[in-house]
Amino acid sequence: MKALKNSPKFLTGLIIITCLIVLALMEPYINDYRLKGHSPTEIGLYDIFLEPSWEHPLGTDSYGRDVLALLLNGLKYSLFIGFTAGGLATIIAVFLASLAGYKGGKIEAFITVLSNSILIIPSWPILAIIVLFVKKIDLFTLSVILAFFSWAGPSRQIKPQISSLKARPYVDLARVNNFSDLEIMFKEILPNFLPYILVGFSVAVTGSIMAETALRIVGLGPGDIPSLGQVINWAIYSGAMAIGQYLVILIPITFLILIFVSLNLINVGMDEILNPKLKQITGM
Amino acid sequence: MKQLVKYFLKRVLLYFLIFVISLSAFFFFINLVPGDPVTRYVQQLEQRYGISTPLTEEIVRKYKEAFGLDKDLFTRYILYIRRLVFEFDFGPSFVAFPKPAYSLIVDALPWSIGLLGTAVLTSWILGIFIGTVIGWKRESKVSNFVLICGLVASQIPSYLLALILVMVFSFGLGLFPMGGAYSAALKPGFSFSFISSLIYHAFLPSMSLILIYVFGVMISQRALVINLLGEDFLKLAEAKGLDKKRLIKRYILRNTLLPQATGLAMSLGFIVNGFFLIEWIFNYPGIGRLFMMAIREMDYNVLMGITVTTMFCVLTANLIIEFLYPLIDPRIRRG
Repeated sequence: MKALKNSPKFLTGLIIITCLIVLALMEPYINDYRLKGHSPTEIGLYDIFLEPSWEHPLGTDSYGRDVLALLLNGLKYSLFIGFTAGGLATIIAVFLASLAGYKGGKIEAFITVLSNSILIIPSWPILAIIVLFVKKIDLFTLSVILAFFSWAGPSRQIKPQISSLKARPYVDLARVNNFSDLEIMFKEILPNFLPYILVGFSVAVTGSIMAETALRIVGLGPGDIPSLGQVINWAIYSGAMAIGQYLVILIPITFLILIFVSLNLINVGMDEILNPKLKQITGM
Repeated sequence: MKQLVKYFLKRVLLYFLIFVISLSAFFFFINLVPGDPVTRYVQQLEQRYGISTPLTEEIVRKYKEAFGLDKDLFTRYILYIRRLVFEFDFGPSFVAFPKPAYSLIVDALPWSIGLLGTAVLTSWILGIFIGTVIGWKRESKVSNFVLICGLVASQIPSYLLALILVMVFSFGLGLFPMGGAYSAALKPGFSFSFISSLIYHAFLPSMSLILIYVFGVMISQRALVINLLGEDFLKLAEAKGLDKKRLIKRYILRNTLLPQATGLAMSLGFIVNGFFLIEWIFNYPGIGRLFMMAIREMDYNVLMGITVTTMFCVLTANLIIEFLYPLIDPRIRRG
């Protein structure tokens, strides 16, 4: 823990993502205050294409909505979907990786082939088709579908660690003491690789938000969940590029990039601390 | 030699296994999801043209019959696989009826493979080069600066960069075309004006891939090089007084090529994911754009066909890379 405080990369990442999360959590209050109780997605609340001003720091869009309010609202949804889907994906990954690492043999081989297939094959078109044909899609369904495609990344981070932890003496000790498989997995092994789970979690969150944004930008998925991807989609289809309203597209993109970069910085920082040898060699 | 044959056989077997598993998983996944394509398609038509007829259910039933969707899941699976394997046929396209989905895909595929292949290879080679340099000179300030840039740049999704590029360079500055693969005034052929127009149009789409992927390869190459620098055989080579060029070429590059090839194979799927959107953003006539058009029209057969085709292409590319391993690494050659 102390080491984490001394890692500038980890700290930078943590500060950025915390700021974004706080911003997303404050969104209902900020927007309530600024829009006087109206919903950020309400059409025709103001005049269309207003220039940035004190009242509308980023102007309004082609539907007469306040752009800043839309962005904060979108950030909230993107982060929420990312963390829900990422959490679910991590649970799947931990479960399958423990199963593979602990049982070994054919089960391990099967799980490895499965997770490699998901990694190798372009999964976005499959995701797009599923989202297209599912009749009604809500926040939770979307997260589950996303999780289903993003567990392979964290699983690759977590599995080697489990395999190495299994061979350590305290596991043998537990086995001699007649602990059940499940007990060994959850009481002995799990606490020891919590840091790796965290790394896997942030990989999964990144993957989920990337996939979700890619779906929403092209106009797939639930239109009533205005995440950042949806905001970009609205901007593209209202011709924001052609009339030079670049900020409407650039700022959601910046928010998304900040999310991805900060999560990656956290990972790189954690990696260096988990493998001190790496830090020594790389001297970063 | 025997080792080599065994290695190849194993790879081919695994290739078919993964292909069959993903194909089947994909098929059942799509078919078990609640809601079927024909109903959704007819619903969409009704919405779009604001009509609703009492015949809707009849139409849906007829369509389902025509597309073989009224049979049970298992029969459909067998039929689909049989048609795919023996006739290489994805069925008719909804929108371009009676054109088969197959011919639409075949027309679009070369564009995608050409652009994607060039961009990926360029960034892979460039990334290895820059990564080796900043790994070799790891203490210099420039190296560290490049590394920090890389840590940020490699995390940007390619489709977001594509949006930024098209906005800045096409819409804002007007330096590049907004889309298409070549100027509409030209006829395809081996003329200078056509080829330069081709490159001019492909520049931004490929840049949105290259500018990101270069940094990804660079970061991993740097780590690989630095890891190698501590090895004894390198110290010996250095002590022997081997010149730097030879050292880097024979001792360092050769040893990093294998993990980099694996890295390329593993990231292809991810790159292709982003490429679908890049084509859509730049209106590039490859399968990514075809996919988006099929999505808008809910063209079930084209969508299925494209997904299976990309799966096939990416897996085959993986197989080719794995076939190159023995060339890179003598240890595989000799077993």
